[in-house]
Amino acid sequence: MSAALRIYLRWIRDRRLSTLMWSLGLVVIVVMTAAFYPSLSESGGDIFADSSGAMSTLLGLSDIIDPSSPLGYLWIGLYANIVPMTLIALGIALGSAAIAGDEETGTLEYMLSKPVTRTAVALSRFAAAATILFVVAAVTALALIASIPLFELGDDVTTTGADGSTLTQPGATAADVAAGTFASFAVGLGFLGISYLLGAATGRKGFATGISTAIAVGGYVLYTLSDATDSLEALTWVSPWRWYIADAMLLDGLEWDVLLPFGLALICLLVGWQWFLRRDLQNP
Amino acid sequence: MPAVIETEGLTKQWGDLVAVDSLDLSVEKGECYAFLGRNGSGKSTTARMLLDFIRPTRGTSRLLGGAGSDPTVRARVGYLPGDLNLPRSMTGNDAFDFFGGLSGTTDKDERKSLVDRLDLDPTRPVRELSTGNRRKVGLVVAFMSNPELLILDEPTSGLDPVLQEEFRDLLDERKQTGATIWLTSHVMAEVERVADRVGLIRDGHMAKELSMTELRHQTTGTIRLAFPQVVETSAFEGVAGVTGVRVEDGEIVVTIEGPVAALLSRAGELGASHIETEKRDLDDVFLELFDLKGGAT
Repeated sequence: MSAALRIYLRWIRDRRLSTLMWSLGLVVIVVMTAAFYPSLSESGGDIFADSSGAMSTLLGLSDIIDPSSPLGYLWIGLYANIVPMTLIALGIALGSAAIAGDEETGTLEYMLSKPVTRTAVALSRFAAAATILFVVAAVTALALIASIPLFELGDDVTTTGADGSTLTQPGATAADVAAGTFASFAVGLGFLGISYLLGAATGRKGFATGISTAIAVGGYVLYTLSDATDSLEALTWVSPWRWYIADAMLLDGLEWDVLLPFGLALICLLVGWQWFLRRDLQNP
Repeated sequence: MPAVIETEGLTKQWGDLVAVDSLDLSVEKGECYAFLGRNGSGKSTTARMLLDFIRPTRGTSRLLGGAGSDPTVRARVGYLPGDLNLPRSMTGNDAFDFFGGLSGTTDKDERKSLVDRLDLDPTRPVRELSTGNRRKVGLVVAFMSNPELLILDEPTSGLDPVLQEEFRDLLDERKQTGATIWLTSHVMAEVERVADRVGLIRDGHMAKELSMTELRHQTTGTIRLAFPQVVETSAFEGVAGVTGVRVEDGEIVVTIEGPVAALLSRAGELGASHIETEKRDLDDVFLELFDLKGGAT
């Protein structure tokens, strides 16, 4: 077995329990949210009807999203906020731990006294972090897909407008959930890349976590505030949320834009790896 | 044959702080070289540069004829850091499997023998181990691949006297098999038995480099002699090995280097009634060499 593979497997193995906890947490959230759908759909989704513009933005709503439809409900309840936010948080935690976490505790330096290259460590750790993020996202998607038939989320919803016209909206499918979760995984991976880069460049986990979190939270605040203010609308493009919310891939299916965070993560990996090769390790 | 460890003008500087300054070091195959210095004198920084954890500001270093960054070189090196940090979830056996796997070490007999000798329970998680027991895990990992070069940063810190003795036996055995050993310490007596040569580092400078034989000469003894009658100091002038004579509390105090036979013979002739030896130990020499007032000489 190659050194890189050993490092990859060991890092995942050391995180078995935390991976299980993150997965369980998300599974509980998505299943509970799904379980509330039958009772909310009976109320016609009125609880969202009076949302103000700012509130709509906060909820990820737009004109085309009907919160009483299965997909609209899942979008507002999970995919416009909790699912991507949790995957972003996990991505940041994993990315900053990949190099900087072990460097701060001194275990990285000890490992590098063995016949392994810094490249093997840098690449296998990134791969391990991305794998864990993917596993948690996949478990989340599977739990929700399994919930669809249990909580009427797969049923088409027909509504009658004031003018007597009817509108039928499709129920949620496994493909919809897979697309939505994949987009959330993508945004989580982008932030994993950012925190990995910061950790690989500095060897400081707290710094990497702090700055990455600030970018995530700051981006969200910037997006919601500037989107609600016409004059500042252009600023939304600075925020990674603009991309995620505007594309709403749970509702509209995968778009090529989903590759953007992969590109960001790849750039962060390359820069972080090269930076890590060239710098001194921090004194543990 | 090139030296096993070779540095030329090795320097590490952080801003104004010069941690290691123009270090020229050459350790031959089979040699045990002790790097002695006070805390913060640059010992660990040197070790970390040798293994490419940190890069020199100036100068070069080579291990086993290659670069410390080269995995094929590191496969032939056993390293014990001064501040050993193992993943806390690992047990001793996990650590042996994982780090042994990275080094391509398959010999489990050697590892078992080391575990038994160091009296280590390898099934307990690292987080439950005392500092001394963690260092035992580190020692097993460092020795179990039978490396050609051992780089040991303060290897006996945290070990009790019995285990320190066991460790020295282990080093002796590795020396017999031709391994080269480079270790750091701030306790002179610790290296007395194992080292062939000692480098004294002070504020990043190599203050002095000397063989253990030369060092032992510096542990010149004094002999205190009592006589029933008054004896003049001049009675010892010209006796082989005597480097000084003085009277103290009515007794003659002679400082001597080398064999004492001639001195004892002369004392016998003069009818000495009592003989007492006082010898400075290596720690005294160490303290003197690192005397803050005088500086390393």
